[in-house]
Amino acid sequence: MPFPFESVIPFGIMSVMFVATGAGIQYAQNKRNEGKRPCYSLDDWDRKMMDRDQRLTGTLRGQADDPIAPPEFKVNSVWKVYESLRNG
Amino acid sequence: MVNPGYRHFKGEDWVDPTPPPASLPAVEEVGSTRAPLNSASYFIGSVCSEYNEDFMLCKNESRSPEHCLLEGRKVTRCAIDVLQKIQANCRDQFRAHWQCLDANNQEFAQCRAPEKTYNRCLFAALGWKKAIPDAPADRSLVYE
Repeated sequence: MPFPFESVIPFGIMSVMFVATGAGIQYAQNKRNEGKRPCYSLDDWDRKMMDRDQRLTGTLRGQADDPIAPPEFKVNSVWKVYESLRNG
Repeated sequence: MVNPGYRHFKGEDWVDPTPPPASLPAVEEVGSTRAPLNSASYFIGSVCSEYNEDFMLCKNESRSPEHCLLEGRKVTRCAIDVLQKIQANCRDQFRAHWQCLDANNQEFAQCRAPEKTYNRCLFAALGWKKAIPDAPADRSLVYE
């Protein structure tokens, strides 16, 4: 009996969908992390250090190893405020 | 990130561009991001331990920002000094180690090979040994 090729088509569609999902996730993570693998198990310390890195280099995953910071770093600290605090 | 208890109030990011007052002595800020700082952390901890302990004890007395400005300046200057010495002596091994850390979620266990060359270079150039505080002395060290 000849091989029923029609039954292979749904499996092919499902495999293509899995591959597309994996490729899409890889692309999104690469864009977000500038080509590095994503960080995991981040606690509050790590998030605040990444904010500091963003103030120093401009991106969350950018790294710089000069001992002395550029002068803009002294005045670009970010405070999280609420409108009522700022206006009154 | 929302502070608890203020979920109904809209928050925003606010940057204050005024520089610190001229009456305070000027101090440079540490310009290294988190991977180089993690890489140099044990050496900053061993070389700058007295300044760090002074700062922590001072903060223990009072959480006001004005109280510990002098000790804070000493901590910053010591950390900058350590980083400058590492850059002057072992820059390539330092870079290899912190780039490995950056690629591996800042986990030291994944980067033992660059760490060995880095530790040997620092010991040869400056005599600094990496020491984990309160480690048992009879076990062999995994990073040696």
